[in-house]
This record gives sequence, structure tokens and C-alpha cells, in this order.
Amino acid sequence: MKPLDPRLLGYARAARAFLMAGALIGLAQTACIVLFAWFLSQVIVRAIDGQSLSELMPMIAALAGVVVARAALLWIAEVTSTRGAARVKSQLRSRVLAAITQLGPGWMAERNATSVATVTGPGLDALDTYFSRYLPQLILTAIATPIVVLVIFLEDWPSALGVVLTLPIIPVFMILIGWATQTVQKKQWRLLNTLSTSFLDVVGGLATLTLFGRAARQAERIRSVTEQYRVQTMKVLRVSFLSGFVLELVSSLAVAVVAVSVGLRLIDGSLGLSVGLFVLLLAPEAFLPLRQVGTQFHAAADGVAAADDVFEILDAASAEQAETMVESAPDRPSAGTLVLTGFGAAYGERPVIGPIDAEFSTGSFTAITGPSGVGKSTLVAALLGFVGHTGVVTLGGRTIEAGVTGRDWISWCGQRPGLLAGSVFENVALGSRAPDRALAARALGVAAADEIELDRMLGVAGAGLSGGQAQRVSIARAVYRALERHSAVLVLDEPSSALDELSESRLIDGLRRLSESRTLTLIVVTHREAVARAADSILSLEPAAMAA
Amino acid sequence: MRTTEILRLAQPSARRFAPGALLGLLSALCAVGLLATSAYLITRAAEMPPILYLNMAIVGVRAFALGRAGFRYADRLASHDAAFRTLATLRVGIYERLVPIAPDGLAGTRRGDLLTRLTADVDELQNLPLRVVQPLLISGAVAATSVATVWILLPSAGIALLVALVLAALVGTAANSLIAARSERSIAPLRGAFADEVLDTVVNLDVLTAFDATAERLAAVERADARLTRAVLSSAAGTGVATGILSLLAGAASVAGLLVGIPALGSSGLDGPVLAIIALVPIAVFEVMSSVPLALSALRQVRSSAERIGSAVPEIVPPEIPLDRPGAGSNTVDASNAVIELRDVSASWPQESSPAIRGIDLTVSPGDRILVTGSSGSGKTTLAHVLVRFLEFEGSYRLGGVDVRSLPLAEVRRTIGLSEQIPYLFDESIRQNLLFARDDASDDDLIAVLERVGLTEWVEQRGGLDARVGERGVLVSGGQSQRIALARALLADFPVLVLDEPTANVDPGRADALLRDLLSASADPDGRRAVVIISHLPVPAELITGRLHLG
Repeated sequence: MKPLDPRLLGYARAARAFLMAGALIGLAQTACIVLFAWFLSQVIVRAIDGQSLSELMPMIAALAGVVVARAALLWIAEVTSTRGAARVKSQLRSRVLAAITQLGPGWMAERNATSVATVTGPGLDALDTYFSRYLPQLILTAIATPIVVLVIFLEDWPSALGVVLTLPIIPVFMILIGWATQTVQKKQWRLLNTLSTSFLDVVGGLATLTLFGRAARQAERIRSVTEQYRVQTMKVLRVSFLSGFVLELVSSLAVAVVAVSVGLRLIDGSLGLSVGLFVLLLAPEAFLPLRQVGTQFHAAADGVAAADDVFEILDAASAEQAETMVESAPDRPSAGTLVLTGFGAAYGERPVIGPIDAEFSTGSFTAITGPSGVGKSTLVAALLGFVGHTGVVTLGGRTIEAGVTGRDWISWCGQRPGLLAGSVFENVALGSRAPDRALAARALGVAAADEIELDRMLGVAGAGLSGGQAQRVSIARAVYRALERHSAVLVLDEPSSALDELSESRLIDGLRRLSESRTLTLIVVTHREAVARAADSILSLEPAAMAA
Repeated sequence: MRTTEILRLAQPSARRFAPGALLGLLSALCAVGLLATSAYLITRAAEMPPILYLNMAIVGVRAFALGRAGFRYADRLASHDAAFRTLATLRVGIYERLVPIAPDGLAGTRRGDLLTRLTADVDELQNLPLRVVQPLLISGAVAATSVATVWILLPSAGIALLVALVLAALVGTAANSLIAARSERSIAPLRGAFADEVLDTVVNLDVLTAFDATAERLAAVERADARLTRAVLSSAAGTGVATGILSLLAGAASVAGLLVGIPALGSSGLDGPVLAIIALVPIAVFEVMSSVPLALSALRQVRSSAERIGSAVPEIVPPEIPLDRPGAGSNTVDASNAVIELRDVSASWPQESSPAIRGIDLTVSPGDRILVTGSSGSGKTTLAHVLVRFLEFEGSYRLGGVDVRSLPLAEVRRTIGLSEQIPYLFDESIRQNLLFARDDASDDDLIAVLERVGLTEWVEQRGGLDARVGERGVLVSGGQSQRIALARALLADFPVLVLDEPTANVDPGRADALLRDLLSASADPDGRRAVVIISHLPVPAELITGRLHLG
């Protein structure tokens, strides 16, 4: 692990100010360390030499002053470092979320959403220790250790020599142990991630497991997975704790060596007690910051591993050219016949559908049918620009280019309702620049959902609505957008899959009324006969249309 | 679940905990001993005695130096190992509390919170032995030992050290609590809320993108982030104050040692080396004590995690959720005569005032194929959940001639299988998604059952049984996940099979074929398996033997 990943400074500007503040505080703390040792040793030596308490009072007062300053600095350091950690984390988080939205649903579809959410949420929290404990200590070490060693050298060079000779042992061992830990460490973070998903997977599938009488056995599996996690982690810890061991050992032994050598030279009178005591108090201070870096090392490595996952996403996003949405391009197509020529789509490298040729005239109502798995939804995803496509799409004779044309021309309702926490109104008016209650009520009417109140509050994922209700609200959301933005095309993917026959026929009525305006082109992916019957024409996708 | 019960689960047993704690204590005592002996060695050496007098001190300095590092390494390994072993017990303990109430007793648990609750919160609990109990015990023991030692050397210095330590404990804790307790308690819930926002954004990225709503969504995430950050910062101010006060008192203890030690010098046997010990020991003791405020913060965070786990898992199972009756242990159902008889059955969901179904009469005999119809909200799924005993009922429900309440739940579920409306697909291979239904099934069995539900081609395209189905079936369409669920149910070979909307997302051309497949597949050699199909789609009359209309 690198002590400080340069990408962190690049991606999070707050990290730089944080380092500056840390250096200033570190300098002041070093001054306190040296002064405390000096005043304390002076008072003890002079008292032994016979000076009275009243003679020593000024010096004791100075010592007390240093104590107060030291306490204040500790408080400042704590607040600064936590503030810095929080700022850097926020910056990284908002950048990574922006990167994810830029990479888009196509990128997301190939990944485990829970894992991505873990990386951005709890995963990034591993950076807390890195910033609030590890980095400040690293800075303090870089400042305090050389200064303290220099002071010892000026007082008593043989002791400084002892410290200087033992100090390099630490980085050498740290690097060796670091190398050994690094690979295992990385593996452990992956394992932790897998473990977190697998525990959630078991809990998520609890109903299914209960039905098959397998819930009890999963307890054993959780136990064995966690046990495996313990065994793996302990393997890592046995190595990574070695770095802490070496640090403690070397620093303790250095203090012991200094104490014994100073003691022996005191006996033969070649050294004064004031120097001896001062050096004894300073010697551990040369190692203390380094030791504390060592104790944070393990946690910091976790943070760096977590940051790696974040950088992966950020690097992927910066490799991809940023999408440039043109808000009001003068020649933005807004109406006309939608023509697909040689249109095909692919998820990654795997061709799913196409190529097909199709034409949807203005105001028409087309049903797309075909066996499940033939790629109807993928066709829609390609039309929306979520996945790449081959061939050409034109609207009213103008070419639609993903990322350039914007998406005002198309409104869409997917198979999954995808509702958010909030009111029904907020959901229906999602993405609206000026939410309009009347229009929302009208959209609910079209979607046969007029019995659902606009002010009804929904939980996360639309909790509180039945499957059929959620589906109709999500249709209303697409209708609202189509009406507000005067979209040319409205695409509904399996809009009645969760509806009974009565609701379905009311929805069909609503869609027919919408279609009668002859301005909105309606494309409905469906397997329901009633919907297909209501359409002006049917586009049937057969497995033969699939790429070989 | 009660918080104390959860905390008990998180704390390793005394036998597991003791080795780490003892090793940690030895290491801490060595640290204090190292400084005290060194100070003694140097000041005594300045009096230029024969070297013989110093041999003990020299040996002591070296032994303490080695001991501090060695004991510490052993302590960290022992205590982490104990904490990890306890994590398994903890996870399983909480999981086992979820099992009897799932799924219907858990309804309303927010997804994102579930994520943080059951992973982050459980992991947080690991800190109880590591960062709370052990540091507090060790600090207490080291403080007591040091005060006793200094007291013996000079009682007034011992009192000064005791006062400083007690003050440190009181003032540090109080300052920390006053400033930080409130915000710390709110950190965990805010973190949960933030995780919710992030998960909502990531999972619904397609919707947000299609509606040009990503910007407003990101703004909402940033607001949640800002709330969380504010809480974290105000907590830091608290810990900072406590750390500062500890350092201040450490210095004060040294100064006090000097103030009472210097006048006593020369009298009552107090010499230079003892003065040095009195002035320096507080430095080492307070270094050990610096873990106390951190331990108290950790305790609060552990507590609030435990509280949240507690609120996720109801302490009393709601009356709407059936539990195994004592004494129902050994009753079984005759699989060849698994007749279902419902008379005047009503059922409600937890925390809902009115019953979802009422007055249901239904008889399902071996070989029957019953179609249940009704508009959405008429209680079709409720009925299915009553049949497999996810929900409790009022009225009479007999299975194979026996009151179903006298049967173990597992026995009912061995007899009656349910293919859920939204099948849960595990983030594993297709094979694993089938095997858990019958773990002794061979690959040939799996391929045969996939053929029966019409997935042969689909599985081949994906690259065989080892292909992953993807999270929540991301790469699987609705129809296909239904088929996988049906394949599982067929593998498990239930005498009675309840299919909740099996054709919900299958195109009509195939739906009929699938229904035929299912019903012919359900016809075991002697044709006695019964099937209850819940459907809002019309089902060809020749495929069914009876109907029940709800609503």
C-alpha cells in the first residue's frame, strides 16, 4: 500500500488543505513535546540538587503552560482531521455518484447494484480511519521524528546514534510486512464484499428458503461463511499485526538501550543527570508517532482498498467521453415519424436483438409482441440510449443521436415500477421543472389510477402500494412527462402485467384517448391480447430476428 | 429483540475473552513498568552507586521492553480471533430470530436499512469486546495498580494521581457525553438514511436517467450526506474535548507529583529516584487511559446499532404470524391423502385493521386443479400465504383431516409448496438456484426439470448450469424467473402446489402451453398431486377441475 495515493489528492481537492493544516499542527505539537520533556527533567534535576519548591515555581508554571497548550492542540487536531475526513469523503462520494450516473443504466445493468451501493456508501466509510487517524499521524511522524532526533543529538550524540540506528529498521520491516500483507489485504476486501452480499442474499430470500424448508440450514451456511471469513482474516492479521509488533519492539528496545547506556555513563560520571533524564523522556517520543501510524496501518489499508474500488469507477467514467446534453438545440426533433433502419442492440459484447427495420408514424399506436427473452425490453433500452445500438434512428427525418439529442422526445415506463420514497405527486412529476398538480391528476386518469390520491406518501421503492397500483403510478409518471415535455414517443414496457382484466381495459381506454390526439406516438411492449387488439398495428418480434 | 440480548450475543464468553484481556493487561503494565524502571535506573545511576545495585533495574528495563511488544501482539491476535468467532454466533443468532417471522412479520422493513442494519450494524457490534470492554477493563486495572504503587512510595502523590485519574474519567466522560452523545446516536440512523438514498439512486438509475431526474436525485443524496457530515463533525468536537482534557490531566498529575514530591524530598525516605518515578508514572498511565474516551464513543455507537437491530426484529412475534405449537412436533400428513379443507377462513396482515380475506370455503383433494381468480387486492396472495402458513387465520383449516394448527409448520410446507408471485433468485449459479429445492438432484434431473418448464434453450445460451442468474435476476426476464421458480417447486415434489400468478409475465401464446406443462408435470404417476393456480389471466376450462372467485 502506498502511504498516500496521489489519486486521492487529484479526485478530492479537500485533501490538500487537510494536509497543510496537519503540517502546521504537527509542528506546534513537536514544540510542545520537546518543551515538556525539557521543563520536566529540569525541575526534577534541580529539585534533587536541592532547590526549593518556591525557587522552582516559575519553571513549574512554564511546564503547566506547555501542558495546557498541548491539550488545546490535541483538540484542534482531532476536530481538523475529522472535518477533513468528512469533506474528502463527501467530495469522493459526489464524484463517484456523478460518475455512475454518467456511465448510465447500461453500465449498471452489468453490475450488482447492491455491491455498487456498498462501495459508495459503507465501503467509503473505511476511509474515515485513514483520514482522521492514519494521515495526521503520518504527517506528525514526518515532522516530529526528525526534530526530536536532532534535539537528542545536540544533547547527547551517543543516544541519538542509538535512535538513528534503530529507526531505519522500522520502515524496512514495514515495507517487507506491507508487501506480504498487501495482496492478502486486497483479497480480504473482496471477500468481505462477497460476504456482505451473500448475507443480504440469504436474508432477502428468506421467504423462499422457508418455503423449501431450507431456512434453518442457512444458519449453518452463515456460520461457515463467517468462520471462513475469520480464518481468512486471521491469516491476514497474523502478518499485518507483525508490523505493529516490530514497531513496538523496536521503540521499546530503543528506550531500554538509551536508558541502560545513559545509566552506565551516569555511573562513571561522563554524563549529567539533566541531559540523561531529558534524553530518556525524548527517546520514546521519536518512536511514538511512528508507532501510532503502525497501529492505524491495518485500518488505513482497508480504506485504501475501498478507495481503489471508487477510483475504478471514476477512472471508467473519465475514460468515457462525458455526455453533453444540449438543453435547447435549435434543430432538436420534437415530432414526426419514428424510423428505425438496421436497428440492433447489444448488452456488452453479446448481441441480443436485431437488426430490424420499422416505422412508427406520428400518433400511431403500435404493440410490440414476441416470446419472452426475444429482446423486446433490450430494444427499448437501445432506443433510450441505455445500451449501444447499430443502425440509424430518425424522428421526422432528423437523426437521433444518443447523448446529443437529449431525451425530451421520448417518455418511457419500464417493467419495474422503480418508484421512490415520497408522495405520489412527487413520483408522477419526477424530473419535472415545474410540477403541475392538474397535469399529474390527468396522467393518473390516463393510467386508470385516479383512485390513488396525489398526496399519498410512499416508502422506499414505493412501499405502501400494491403491485398493480405501483405499476399504474409508474405509467402515469411516463404519461405526465410525455404531456409536459410534448414528447413525440411514449414507450410502455408490459404496462398491464400486474393488472387484472378490469384495470387493464380502463388503462387501454386511457391510452386510446391519449392516442386520439394524433400527436403522440404510442409504442407498447406487451404479451396481453387485449392490449395488442387495441393497437393500430402489431410489430411481432420472432426469435428468428435474433442475431446468430 | 432487546438491546441487552443483542449485546450479550456480541460479547464473547469469559473463557474466549480472558486470554486477550490478560495479555493486553500484561502489555499495558509492561509499558508503565518500562518508563518507571528507566526513570529509576537513570536517577539512581546519577548517585553513582556500585553497578551491582543497578543490575535488577537493567534486567527489568529490558524485560519490560520485550514484554510490552510481545504481549501486545499476542493480545491482538487472541482478542480479534475471539471477536470473529463471536461474529458467527451473532449473525446466526440474529438470523435465527428473523426466520420465524419471515416473510410477513418483516414487512415494512426498508430495503436500504436492511442492508446497513444486517451488515454494518452487526459488524459494528464486533467492536464491543475489542474497543469497549477490553480497553475499559485494562485501563481500570492499570490505573489501580499504578495508584497503589505510587501511594506506597508517597501517599500524597498517590492521592494526587488518584484524583487526576478519577477527574479524567468523570470530566472526560461527561464532556464527551454532553457534546457527542446526541449526535452520535443520530449518526447511525443518518447513515442508514444516507445508504437508503444511495441505494435508491443506484437501483433506479434507469428510471432517473430516462426522466432526466438524476441531478435532483444527486442533490437529495448530497443533502443526506451533509446531514450525516454535520453529525459526524459535532461528534468529533466532543471526542476532541475529551482527548484534550485527558492530556491536560495527565500533565496536571505530573505537575502535582512535583508539587507534593519536592517538599518531601529528603524527608520520610523520599529520594531522587522515587521523585522521578512519581513525576513520570502519570505519563505512562495516562497513555494507557487515552483509550477510555474512544471506548466510550465506541460503546455508544455499538449501543445504537444494537438498538436498531432490536427495532428491526420485533420482540414478540405478531399474532398474525403462526408459530409452531409445543407438542406439534411429531404429527405428520399422509402425503397420499393431503386434502385441504378451509371453512369460513379469515386472515389479516400484521398491523392492518381489517382482514384481507374473510369467509373463505375451499376444498382441494388430491388430483384437483383449482383456479383462484379475483381483482387485485381481493386477497389471492393472502390466501396463498394462509395455505403455506405464512399467515395465521381464523376459522377452520384442515390438512389431511387434521387441524393444521396441530401440525409443525415445516410439515405443512413439506406438503404444500408455493411458487411466489415475485420469485427470489439468489445471486448464484442456475444450478445453486435449483439445487436448494432438492440437494440430491443430479445434473440430469436439473436438465430434465428445466426442459419441463421450457428453459433448456435459455440455459444453453447462458452457458449451462454454472451460469450466474445475476442479482435479483437482473439478467433474467419476468417469464424466465417464473419458470426457474416453477422448476424449483417441481424438483421439491410437493403433494400440493400453489402457483401464485405463474403466468404474470409470460406471453399468452406460451402461457397456455406452460399451464399445460405444469398441470401435466404435476400429474405424478398416480395423478394425485393437487394444484392451486392463482391467476388474473383466463385459464382454459379443460385444464382445471374447480374455481374459487375472491372479492
